[in-house]
Parts: sequence; C-alpha cells; structure tokens
Amino acid sequence: MSSYAPRHSPSAFSTPASTTLFRRLTWEGTVPLEIRVDPNELPANSDRGLECYYIQAPRVSYLPLLVPEIKRFLQDVVFDETAARTMKEEEWWFESDGGGLLKWHWPIGLIYDNHAISQSVRPTTAASFFAPLRIVLHLASPPTEKLLMSPSAEACKQAFMGQLKEADFIRWGNTKRMTGLRKAEQDGLWEGIKEHNFDEYWRVASKITPTTTPTRSHSPPPPPTSTSLHTRPPSADPGSTAAPDRDGASNVRNIPARIYLPDGPVLQDLVPPVLEDGSMHTLGAFLTAHLPLLFPDPHSKKPNLAYALIQGVPAPPDTEMAWLGACMAGADGWVNICVGLLREGARYP
Amino acid sequence: MQCPEPNARTLPSAWTSLDGGNVMHEAHEALETYKKKDVNKVVVRFKAVGNAPIMKQNFYKITASNRFQAVIQFLRKELGWKQGDPLFTYINLAFSPAPDDTVANLFKSFSTDGHLIVNYSTTAAWG
Repeated sequence: MSSYAPRHSPSAFSTPASTTLFRRLTWEGTVPLEIRVDPNELPANSDRGLECYYIQAPRVSYLPLLVPEIKRFLQDVVFDETAARTMKEEEWWFESDGGGLLKWHWPIGLIYDNHAISQSVRPTTAASFFAPLRIVLHLASPPTEKLLMSPSAEACKQAFMGQLKEADFIRWGNTKRMTGLRKAEQDGLWEGIKEHNFDEYWRVASKITPTTTPTRSHSPPPPPTSTSLHTRPPSADPGSTAAPDRDGASNVRNIPARIYLPDGPVLQDLVPPVLEDGSMHTLGAFLTAHLPLLFPDPHSKKPNLAYALIQGVPAPPDTEMAWLGACMAGADGWVNICVGLLREGARYP
Repeated sequence: MQCPEPNARTLPSAWTSLDGGNVMHEAHEALETYKKKDVNKVVVRFKAVGNAPIMKQNFYKITASNRFQAVIQFLRKELGWKQGDPLFTYINLAFSPAPDDTVANLFKSFSTDGHLIVNYSTTAAWG
C-alpha cells in the first residue's frame, strides 16, 4: 500500500520533542482568506476599490474571532462615518464563494480543507492548495436556522468547549479530565486560541491530551534511551505528574476522529488505537474500513481513488491513528480527515 | 489569484491513482454511495435533569440521518417550549454535541444498551 520503506524506528510514537514540534506545526498552520463584503450590501459612500480584506488566519481559530479585525478594517478603510457607526456585527454571516454557508463553529482550517476537497470533485474548477479561500461577508439577515447557533464569539466558545468534552468522552469514556479543569484553566484554552498563544493553550491542553510516550504492550519496544526522554518540554507540559502509560496515546479507548467527504456527509465512528490483531490502527486501515470504494483493501491491489488531508497535509496511509490524535488534532481535540478525489490521470510524483 | 498549476503540490506516492478512463467516474459513484442517507431508525431516550419537566413518553425512534438539531427541535416541540425558552441538551450527562452532527454518528459513538440518551435541562448543567 505504501511506497515508503518500512519503518526502522521503534515506533511511530515519537520522542516528546517531536511531539511538541508537530503540535507546534499544527498550531502555527495558517490559511489564506479573501473576505469580500457582498457588493449588494455595501453601504452608500463605501470605498469600493478596497472592500476585500486579506488575512492569513490560524487553522485552529474560528470565524467569529476574526470579526473584530474585519470590523476595524471596514471602519477605517471602507465605510464612511455613518456606515461605520451603524454597523451591526451581530448580524454578520459568511458564505463561501460558491454560496455555501460557512459554519461559525468549525475551525478555520477545517473550513479551508473542506473547501479544497469539495473542489476536487469539480474537474473544471482550478482548485489550488495555495489560492486564498474566497469568502463573502454578509452584513445583515443571518439565516439563523442554518447557521445553527448565534453568530457570537461566546456561542462559538461554548461549541468549542462542547467539542473538547465530546473528545474527552471518546478518549477516556468520561469527561473527568475536562471537568477537572478549573474555570480559569478552561477559559485559558479559549484565550490561547483567541490570542493564538501556543504556550497558553498547551499549558492546559497537555492535561487532557494523550502523551506519545512509547508504550510497552502494543508498539515494538522503545529505544533504550527513551526513558531519559520522558520529560516533556516545559512548553508542552508544565509539571504533570500523571503516569505516562495511563495517559498514553495508545491507551485511550478511542481517538476522536471525523471523516469529511466532498459536499458531505461527515462520518464519525469509534476509532480504537489498536486493532483486534494487536497492530496499531492506521489511517489507511480506518479509511478502508469506512470507505472501501475509495480506499480499497491494499491486498486487492486496486488503486486508491482518493486522498486524505489532515491539517492541510496529505497524510500517508500508514500514519497511526493514535499518533494523529496526540499530535495532529485540532485545538478542539478532533482529528479532521478531509477526503478529496484524485484527478483523472493526475500524477503525483 | 488562482494558482496556475492545479494541485501543484505533490501528494505522497502512496495516494497516487493510476491513469485510466473510468477512475474519476468510479470515484464519483463511490461518493454517491456514501452520500445516501441512513434511513434506519435509532432509539433516543430523553431524560430530564434538574427542574426540567419530565416527558410522559421518553422513548422515540428517530431517523439516523437526522441532525442533532432536529432532535433539539423535536424535544422543544414536545415540551411546548417557546422560541427563546432556555433548553440545554447533553449526551450521557457529559457534553453538548455539535448541532450539525447526525444522530447516526452520535449513536455509533455514544449509545448505551441500544439507546442514545439525551439529557435536557433548563439551565446549563455541564457547561
């Protein structure tokens, strides 16, 4: 299935330093957005040459968190004084260029990747990983029914907390790790996202996210030096005293993961870290189990018809699900797997 | 500002598709198969929390492809709740799912003894 050479490292489970590296890469990932006010809704006397706002937005952030910045831009550059004074950002809502509603409670990186895979099924459009995602900003009459929640940062925070708790429940069978956090700590998670502050977020998140310390039973034995590496860097874990095994990524019950298909649906199922035969559960096995028509069993020698994007990265099929859960999950704890179709005759060297 | 070369970024060779006439067609057909709605019904069991009124009947069969939002709306109707009346819903006394998640997904991950247990409250309980 994979053309990669077999792994010679003891396990995909990385040293703590590389865990922090991947978490940081995930955290620092950004996507280009082009936000344009719906031309029909621009107030009179607006400066029409400038109604586009470009931003490189963090993947882990949310649209409502961009609103203050966009608002400042419109006030300062585009609108005249009257329009700026009467602007009501609580009525704002966003649509993709093609007309799809953009969800307030989806991480921006997921919105971007989901758009990328939806382009993969439209052969005539020139999709690109690099082009900014074109977003239309509407200034009034939000379709509240379809948005499913009020377009405020507070509602977004509540939804984010709900996702974190759901992820916690999937991992451990209860939400004790989340409910065990003090109010200030829970708020710190959200503040970390708002401020895009890796250390602030991970100071708390390390208490609820599994570790990637090599485990004894399922993976091949850890390298002899691994015990000296058990201490995680301070930025990832200040003073946690939890036993590494209990919190280990392959000791979770399941990994919080969702599969997104082009233009829907979204699939969610229990994803155990280790399969019944004792082998590590991989991305390829997970996709073959759920989407065998797109990812045929490797033994069948049939080619894959699709690929999987995780945090914008085409992820190799032999990536372990447990590792993804510990290193490539979004700030809400979920591994979002966006499946796009390979193009006819396309070559990917 | 489109990138001149579509999919210019390389994908790992493990994902590479073979050239061939019907590959894209086959892929589209596969997608259509996965888009079919799950018409099965699952049992949802509503449980009141705190001061929330108890329902006379609290077992309902709900089509699995429904979104959780539909469950919330159904519950509001059954309780005679007016728009704006506060109602908080939880799974397994633990968390509020995203309103766009489907009943099928929630059932697969969180059902207990063949039921999806939905707790409801008039105040935020596990917020």
